[in-house]
Amino acid sequence: MPREAEISVNEREFIQQALRENTRLDGRAFDTFRPLELTFGDEYGVADVKLGKTRVIARISVEVTAPLPERKFDGVFQIVTEFSPMASPAFEVGRPTDAEVILARILEKAIRRSNALDTESLCIIAGLKVFHLRADVHIIDHDGGLIDASCIAVMAALQHFRRPDVIVEGEKATVLSVREREPIPLSILHTPLCVTFSYYEEGEIFLVDANLAEEQVRQGEIIITMNRHGEVCQIAKYGGATVDALSLLNCNNVALEKVKDMSKFIQERLEADAKRRDAGGLMAELSAENDR
Amino acid sequence: MAATLPVVLPGDQISPSSLPKPTKGNKPLTLGPGLQHIPPNTISTTIAGALVTDAKKNAAWVEYNSGRYTPTAGDLVIATIATGGAESFNCTITPNTPYASLPNLAFEGATRKTRPQLATNSLVYARILTANRDTAPELTCVDPSTGKSEGLGPLKGGMVFKISLGMARRLLAGRKGGVTVLGGLSEKIGFEIAIGRNGVLWVDGGNVKTTLAVGKAVQEVDEHALGPEGQKKVVSKVLRDI
Repeated sequence: MPREAEISVNEREFIQQALRENTRLDGRAFDTFRPLELTFGDEYGVADVKLGKTRVIARISVEVTAPLPERKFDGVFQIVTEFSPMASPAFEVGRPTDAEVILARILEKAIRRSNALDTESLCIIAGLKVFHLRADVHIIDHDGGLIDASCIAVMAALQHFRRPDVIVEGEKATVLSVREREPIPLSILHTPLCVTFSYYEEGEIFLVDANLAEEQVRQGEIIITMNRHGEVCQIAKYGGATVDALSLLNCNNVALEKVKDMSKFIQERLEADAKRRDAGGLMAELSAENDR
Repeated sequence: MAATLPVVLPGDQISPSSLPKPTKGNKPLTLGPGLQHIPPNTISTTIAGALVTDAKKNAAWVEYNSGRYTPTAGDLVIATIATGGAESFNCTITPNTPYASLPNLAFEGATRKTRPQLATNSLVYARILTANRDTAPELTCVDPSTGKSEGLGPLKGGMVFKISLGMARRLLAGRKGGVTVLGGLSEKIGFEIAIGRNGVLWVDGGNVKTTLAVGKAVQEVDEHALGPEGQKKVVSKVLRDI
């Protein structure tokens, strides 16, 4: 009989009292993230994100399909979330929880609809063949902050992914295997990242990156997605309590700072991974990418 | 815990020399968790862990750290009230186990007219009375023979911390468990604790700082599997911070 372990009255009161005394359970400041870890798999397009005890793995895969009839020049990009029952007793396969629905919707808004990925570049032959890109998000361990971690995982995986090169001759397209030609990175237009603020005490206290216990106590959450240039992609607020405009602006400023830090971190990890793969310094010669 | 305990792996056969020798009389040999008897006279292990023997009780068992708690009669647990009924409360021991029932009359001094009022999601410290595979476990907050609570009952205030099952067992074992961190802390600061075999530690230090410090200290000892020296370091660090 699996279900989410509801937080006890004692824990709820203790967390609220601690917050009133400016203390978080793990001793963090109110506006700090848990230690973030990002590793890439041996294959292209696999990113493993650990945010404290939360763990999310994103994997990008690609296949060739016919485009949608109303979008002949665009490739298809799809994000699929999967909550593994081993992450939490509340997760069941085939029965999405509220958290899963919200996560899917936020990722859709933050990454797909903000045009983070240039889908036109996935077109092979207009109206006939396009690449269908699929991002699978697997929640492996759940200790709060799923949205932030998943967004980092998907964006990191997209930047890490390489799609196979194609040769087009008239109506005939040949997909070249990895052994024939070095795969090409995707064209990423910008990197949106999410920062979730949990608020308490009628919007008096804001926490960045709440863990599961803190999430269960909060009155509501504000999810801000922006890129490192400070362009806001979406803002979502869930939960009943009201939030005044000034604190929302304040959240935006904090979010920008966090997004800059995270973008830098992802970039560093990507560069470290590229260096590891670039055995003998031959990558530049192998590259089939066109300079824009 | 003594470092000389033999480590066994699943399927190992236990040689008669490593089994306890009965000190007096012919007390039958008792096999605890992790050991099984294959007739006529083979004893093998079912899990990996340390083989512990007790010559006085003529008993042997395997000490191990498992992830999931299975209710066993006689265990002390910290349960959460899920729903209240006319006859009993339904309690959650862990999210994976079925609800356990805690009769309204299983509290000290409870009668039909003075039933305890417990809100949903409040905590109780209880003992498992019965637990078997086919029925829901039954809890009690009184000692059936004396009718006294003996420290069991609703837990007010404080905070709970998750610890591993092995750590909970070691804490409950007292001096034999080899956990000195609580003893070290209690020399300087006052706090109240309750240990649940389901991997829950309840701490009430009177204020947020003390409660957190005690809970975090135990969790740190648990996570890093600290020995006596490590535990002393944790104690001195916590006391310095307070």
